[in-house]
Amino acid sequence: MHNILRLSVTLAAVAIISAALLTGMHNITEPVIREKEQREYLEALERFFPDINEYETREIEGDQFDLVYDQDGEKLGIMATVKTQGYEGTITYNLAVDTDTEIIGIRVISHSETPGIGDVITTDDFQEQFIGKSFEDPIQEGEDVDAVSGATMSTGSMINSIRRTVITIGENILDMERKAFALEGLADGVYRGSVEGTYGPLTVEVELSDGRIQNIEVIEHNETEAYFVDAYPEIPEKIIEEQSLEVDVQTGATLSAERIITAVINALEDAPESGSGGGDN
Amino acid sequence: MAEHNPYVDDLSRGIIRENPVFRLLLGMCPVLGVTAYFINGLGMGLATTAVVIASNVVIASLKNYIPAQVRIPCFIVVIATFVTMVEMVLQAFQPALYEALGVFVPLIVVNCVILGRAEAFASKKPVLRSLVDGVGVGIGFTLALGILALVREVAGQGTIMGPDPESAILLFGEGFEPMGLFGQPPGAFIALGLLLGLANVLFKKLNI
Repeated sequence: MHNILRLSVTLAAVAIISAALLTGMHNITEPVIREKEQREYLEALERFFPDINEYETREIEGDQFDLVYDQDGEKLGIMATVKTQGYEGTITYNLAVDTDTEIIGIRVISHSETPGIGDVITTDDFQEQFIGKSFEDPIQEGEDVDAVSGATMSTGSMINSIRRTVITIGENILDMERKAFALEGLADGVYRGSVEGTYGPLTVEVELSDGRIQNIEVIEHNETEAYFVDAYPEIPEKIIEEQSLEVDVQTGATLSAERIITAVINALEDAPESGSGGGDN
Repeated sequence: MAEHNPYVDDLSRGIIRENPVFRLLLGMCPVLGVTAYFINGLGMGLATTAVVIASNVVIASLKNYIPAQVRIPCFIVVIATFVTMVEMVLQAFQPALYEALGVFVPLIVVNCVILGRAEAFASKKPVLRSLVDGVGVGIGFTLALGILALVREVAGQGTIMGPDPESAILLFGEGFEPMGLFGQPPGAFIALGLLLGLANVLFKKLNI
């Protein structure tokens, strides 16, 4: 009995002293850490928006968005602080856009990508291709921006995250509307469209009649089979059901899903307007 | 030798005869994990040194009050306390190093070099000798990490004092294509193997 008491008291004493020491140390270092983070954050804001006077912070789906104003209260743009899953861990970065969602700059705050391979996401060469891109641009790998070969996971993940962030800013903050693809008025027929994937092209055949998508067939693809089964035929079914290309792509196979949608859009862009003789009925 | 100074012995043991990396192969996780750049290797070595010295001193001074049955949990709490303090200090005053070392800083808690010294030395010997022992082991560990990191950075990146481009010195000019393998985890094993071989030859020659 006496022994148990002694053991417990010793352990408790050691733990209490440890807790006290750590609390003291925390109180000393915490303000320094906070202040440093805050300063770096403000420096980033000032670098992207030299005329910044004040900013207002909003949170959307866990990401932080700062609306930046100049001294006349005029909106200069938005800086987003976004986390995304990279190849080996979370990538945190700032994305600054102007009031037309045109990208001004990117700053990677922290990442754990492979040194010498995935860390190209921090280089100017990779980041500069996004400058000037906006809500209206596809920001798609292989279309208007390039992944870096050998680092497709890291760079692809950045490309997708940047696209989603720009769309979020456009839709949720600047109240812009993405040009919905009008199916009405397109001539009946079967159209083909393709898109370049990581390992090769993906081609779809879209059957259109009465201004409705009747069927979507993937006739060629080079996607990773294990992921692809999550996107196909689920995504074409959703598109047909909703008659819209704005379907939710949260499938676990985001890349494949987005490629299918892009290929369908590419196919329909080739479709000619239907003849004017059709009438309203 | 008649006039054998125990302090000199305690100091040199950790550096040469029982070097944690080259002779005992202890604490291999940070040895392999953070030695892609010289500064990171050195930083990890110094952080570990700080912890091993502090924990050796505290454990040596507490050894008479800690019952044998709960000594391991007590030692671990002491070590974890110092590691957390080092982590906080790094985060506040050396954020770049803290960022680079990442998860390996909290992992110092389970570095067996430190618990090994607590159990094998500090819990039996006087405070001052434990302090000297901690300094010796710390120097030995830092030295080993520094050498390995230097080899890996020169071979794998072609620089010294990276990865910060402001302090990095390009050794072989702009056009040099480094052996990227040495910057990667497998390269750490290869470089460590080569260095261990070299150290063994050297120790044999010098008869240590």
